[in-house]
Amino acid sequence: MNSSTMREKYICGQRAVWLLLGLLLVAVPLAAATARIYVTNRGGTTISVIDPATNKVVQTIKGIEAPEVVRFSPDGSRLYIATRSVDVLYVMDRKSGKYIKKVPLSGWANDAMVTNDGKLILVCIRNTGTEAVDAGALDIIDAKSLVKIKSIPTKRGLHDISVTADGKYAATGSPGGQVITVFDLQKMEIAWELPYDQGILPLVIESNPDGSGHRIFAQLNRTNGFSVVDFATHKEIARIKNPDEPSGFTPGCEGISHGIGISPDHKTLWSNSRPANAVFIYSLPDLKLMGHVSLPETPVPGKSPRGGGPSWITFTPDSRTVYVSTCGTKSVSAIDVETMKELTRIPVGEMPDRISTLIVP
Amino acid sequence: MNSWSLPKIISAGLVLAAGVLLCVFAPSSPAQTSSGADAQAPQLDYEFFKTRVEPIFLKHRSDDHARCYVCHQMMRHGGGPLSLEMLPPGASFWTEEQSRHNFETVSKLVVPGNPSLSLFLRMPLAPEAGGLADTHQGGRQFASEDDPDWKNMKAWVMGQKAGASSAQSSK
Repeated sequence: MNSSTMREKYICGQRAVWLLLGLLLVAVPLAAATARIYVTNRGGTTISVIDPATNKVVQTIKGIEAPEVVRFSPDGSRLYIATRSVDVLYVMDRKSGKYIKKVPLSGWANDAMVTNDGKLILVCIRNTGTEAVDAGALDIIDAKSLVKIKSIPTKRGLHDISVTADGKYAATGSPGGQVITVFDLQKMEIAWELPYDQGILPLVIESNPDGSGHRIFAQLNRTNGFSVVDFATHKEIARIKNPDEPSGFTPGCEGISHGIGISPDHKTLWSNSRPANAVFIYSLPDLKLMGHVSLPETPVPGKSPRGGGPSWITFTPDSRTVYVSTCGTKSVSAIDVETMKELTRIPVGEMPDRISTLIVP
Repeated sequence: MNSWSLPKIISAGLVLAAGVLLCVFAPSSPAQTSSGADAQAPQLDYEFFKTRVEPIFLKHRSDDHARCYVCHQMMRHGGGPLSLEMLPPGASFWTEEQSRHNFETVSKLVVPGNPSLSLFLRMPLAPEAGGLADTHQGGRQFASEDDPDWKNMKAWVMGQKAGASSAQSSK
């Protein structure tokens, strides 16, 4: 082998190394953006996992009866699963699917949330007693020891929860109690309450840039729209009513408005409406209506179709796609945020319920 | 502040479902509101309920179906119309007294002899099969009227007695 051939091979080798490094540089951000959408099947025993890159179900977790919600540790290694069937929080290793622990709860769980620092797992308890009239609580679990460190009783059962970005406060809604309850997570006590004339369904906190609470957007069981609460004054400052059209659908399997979310880029608020069988989009922070996306209907042979029963909402981390679970259609709708068009419907379990996004670091 | 509570929400939902049910099925069964039809209505049989219907509430039928009891037990159903008695700790079935109570509870959701007007049968049945399961928080528990468990429930609504032949139950 002469020297020029050797030099050519050396240059080729160098190119290959640079090419490999280049590919790695491209691949790392892609890997960082990997996400999965988890959909519980409350009418069954499964959890569907959707890959948002393909909008296909890539995994089905089985054997958890009537799962309510799945949340995640910040590093994506653990799943926290609340269920209606047993009064425990399942802690599962995501990769192996093995249970790490079943943390006893003070009653049956609805929603759950993890603080951004990953230190606390907050579980809405719908009923701590054995009577029909629910008596609720917020269970607080230390994520390191996986021990329930506090259970803060509430007058009635809790449905959904949202946490400020700084992790200092959590807001919950109570359908039976008709009240928003805000918890101080440092003092681990109720900070303030805001009573309503209607039951509270899903809600979401809009945080300020410093992570503190700015507003709460709360859906009410008899309002086709949502309430706006000022976090600083603890007062309702507006009640936004969705447009009258589209219309004509029945409420479906729960209240009138069910499912609300803020896109990760904080530019839009998405709110489901069952009478419209649609999700309405509002701009943030000014809450101007931007449009709506009609959602799947339930076909009824020989009759007009019924509404699909939109339930909960989640987003991809890049805010490009929103996912809406519809409890009557056994599917999840993937919607393109920019065009406000449904991209596809993804078949999942019998009764799609809460839906959440895992960001795999 | 009024007292719009979870039981009331559930009740309102059932009223709504009943309204839908009546709209959907009433035209095809006009005779059911007459006193003559009431006089001919069959009696609901407690033993059939206890031995053939009640076990369905506790049965794990498939991955896509949670047991009825999971959501319909009293403390998890908010006092809704189909609130079942809580199983005694460690027990796998209800006591006699509890079964009697469950019988009374479920009987209120039935029009004896008329499956089309019986919410008990329509709520868990798939809309594709003429049911209202898309408005049922437990989803489509029965895909069609051919489901053996649904047939048992229907047989009870039709007044079948415990110990009757299987041919009768498949009607």
